[in-house]
Amino acid sequence: MGVRTLAKGFYVKLAWANIRRSREVYLPYLIACAIIGGIYFLVCGFAMSGELTGVPGGESARALFQMGVIVFTVFAAGFLLSINRFLVKRRKREFGLYGVLGLSKAHVGRILLLENAIVLLGGLACGLVFALVFGKLLFLLLLKLMHALPQNEFRPAPVAYLATAALFLGVYFVSSLYNLAQVHLANPIQLLQSEKRGEKDSKLVIPMALIGAAMLGAAYYFAWTVESSGTAMGIFFLLVLLVILATNLLFTSGSIAVLRALRANKRFYYRPQNFVSVSGMFHRMRQNASGLATICILSTMFLVTLCGTLSLYLGQEKTLAPQYPYDVQVSGYAPYHDRLGADAKLAALAEEHNVVMHADESGLNYHNYVEGEANPDGTVYPGSELYMQPHSLYLDGTLHFDLEGAEEDREAFLDAARQLSMVLKNEAGEDVTYYYRVRDIWSARQESYGMYGGLLFLGAFFAILFLAVTVLMIYFKQITEGYEDKERFDILQQVGMDEKQVRGTINAQVLWVFFLPLATALLHMVFASRILTRMLQSFMLYDWVLVLCCALGVSAAFALIYLIAYRMTARAYFKIVKR
Amino acid sequence: MELLKIQNVKKVYTTKLGLVQCVALKNVSFTVSEGEFVAIMGASGSGKTTLLNILASLDKPTSGDVLLGGRSFASVPDRELSRFRRDNMGFVFQDFNLLDTFTLKDNILLPLVLSQTPVKEMESRLLPIAQMLGIDMLLGKYPYEVSGGEKQRAAVARAVITDPQIILADEPTGALDSKASVHLLQNFRALNERAGKTILMVTHSAMAASYASRVLFIKDGEIFAQLYRGEDENRAFFDRIVANLSVLSDGGADIG
Repeated sequence: MGVRTLAKGFYVKLAWANIRRSREVYLPYLIACAIIGGIYFLVCGFAMSGELTGVPGGESARALFQMGVIVFTVFAAGFLLSINRFLVKRRKREFGLYGVLGLSKAHVGRILLLENAIVLLGGLACGLVFALVFGKLLFLLLLKLMHALPQNEFRPAPVAYLATAALFLGVYFVSSLYNLAQVHLANPIQLLQSEKRGEKDSKLVIPMALIGAAMLGAAYYFAWTVESSGTAMGIFFLLVLLVILATNLLFTSGSIAVLRALRANKRFYYRPQNFVSVSGMFHRMRQNASGLATICILSTMFLVTLCGTLSLYLGQEKTLAPQYPYDVQVSGYAPYHDRLGADAKLAALAEEHNVVMHADESGLNYHNYVEGEANPDGTVYPGSELYMQPHSLYLDGTLHFDLEGAEEDREAFLDAARQLSMVLKNEAGEDVTYYYRVRDIWSARQESYGMYGGLLFLGAFFAILFLAVTVLMIYFKQITEGYEDKERFDILQQVGMDEKQVRGTINAQVLWVFFLPLATALLHMVFASRILTRMLQSFMLYDWVLVLCCALGVSAAFALIYLIAYRMTARAYFKIVKR
Repeated sequence: MELLKIQNVKKVYTTKLGLVQCVALKNVSFTVSEGEFVAIMGASGSGKTTLLNILASLDKPTSGDVLLGGRSFASVPDRELSRFRRDNMGFVFQDFNLLDTFTLKDNILLPLVLSQTPVKEMESRLLPIAQMLGIDMLLGKYPYEVSGGEKQRAAVARAVITDPQIILADEPTGALDSKASVHLLQNFRALNERAGKTILMVTHSAMAASYASRVLFIKDGEIFAQLYRGEDENRAFFDRIVANLSVLSDGGADIG
């Protein structure tokens, strides 16, 4: 018994020691877990708690969050699992060493299980604390985006805790299975040798690169030339898939093809700076190209998500304008049947409620739409039935008018108008009551803020998720490459390169590797902004300039964050290299 | 003709606070003539690595001076040191120090590329050396694709391709098996006898040392003794080295 407890303590100790020893890797992992866990918890909280229900526009926001939960689960689980995979792959040598030292695979597996549990639990705990501390603030922010007043405090439902715990439990289960499989499937010698060598050069490099370029070209072409919003919606995810594949191919094969060509050009290659950088890049791309491609794709996702949701949020007035050329629309069988009578009835009601209704043709200068196209002369499209009424404007069966007066009076008027009815005989000769259908720009605006505010908020959450994973990947890359480069750095100096030269070439190489994904992501974004504009037309947003501005703003902000992440991780890198 | 001259070199390491002083080299003086193949032997901790680092201008002596071809190391400014090293010395290390990012060919050419040699000349220099060392068929391979002995021969090729005044080797057979060691030492001898290269090799292996024309023994930071090969065959010279070593280590022959 005593022996067993001792052994147990030993495992915990060893697991804890492992985590502490490689805290430069585990700490960021823990932070990422915390961010993912915290955000997931908040999304669940917003989706599953009752706070949003009472808020105007809250129902649409809540529905959005409920959809968001599903997508978020997929992304969060996927990211956590792939980070785990990356970390475990790096540690194969260590597992081999344990084997050589006499720990059985079962022992190593047990240590891994413990480590995994410690990190995930720690991350989850930190994330929950963070979510509970900042949840209220974020809830207020969400309400502000929705232009709604807080009605009650944010108190996450127990089911949100359960969902978050379930996510982490699931991730723990799957990642543990993977880790155990890694330990069990390999023998110590293989494990000991699994680092170091770059992958073999494939003969298929050039065809693969060409296929990648063709795929990317096709995706760009369709994204740029797509005309109708329906088609854009239809092909968007197909194009996303195409771009992801193409990016992967171009990074893995295209880069190799280019570097090979550079290497074949002896005049270029055999110059001190080029010699070291080209071969360094070659080596690096063979090992890490898919990591770079992932960084690039995540960055693009960040840009597209944030740009799309931000455009919709900022473009709300522009989407409302064509739908509401005047403040109020009254439609239904009654006004259609008796437009003059309806106009008079409404006017009397307006007088009663101390508001003024009026309409002139100036409102028609809003562009009305025909199948997603703005009417060129900005007025009513041909074939419309248009009559000026004493107090309103009759257009295709609907009365339009602006409303002036105090807010309460307006609301009272609108409520009263909704009660208006007209009794008519139907074909069978029975009396049927027809109500007026009243729609107004104010409640539409409120609804829209609820919807797009919620969407922007959700988009921002996704963006944070993408960003956290991107930065984490960049950081991991710097760390692993730092250890590799340290050796190269030393050898180059021994062979007679001075320190300044060495630092110069390594700097240049780091910059290249670092900014290639960013540049590619920005290029993707240029083409994505085009198809995004088309897609947003389904939401009645017809403003390429706005989308472009959002794309620019988001890209600039992202580039800045990327730069900061670079500066911070580069510091960790140089610390290793100079050690 | 005197090529390398070491004059009263002393090296003292001090701990950060200056409390403990450790004398690595007390007072070392010797000379190496052009075309010589000198081995320096000593147990671990005897100061031989310190000595080699000083000879390689990677480290500076506390006092004393080193002259290569009549030029004092102290007179070379720091920023020119790496160039000076590149132009005048070739290095062979125990663990090869080849770069995994380069093929063997590019590893060998590295110092020439650094001194901006024209491509044609680089290639014309490469082939005879590679042939002599028996690695001409392996030039397109990466270091992780060849054996330890082959790696070390590539490292030797890299050391000699700049046609340096002296080749400095630090335990070059340390990571090799005996067959690869013999092969490498025969390469060294050929470089020395046929190509007239001056070689200075630090080793703790009597077998390796027996290929040299002179062996210096270092103990506790001082030159303790030296042996000339004279007309001896390898075997006889080896026996004399081993005999000398047992004197050196007070009977406990822990150096093999």
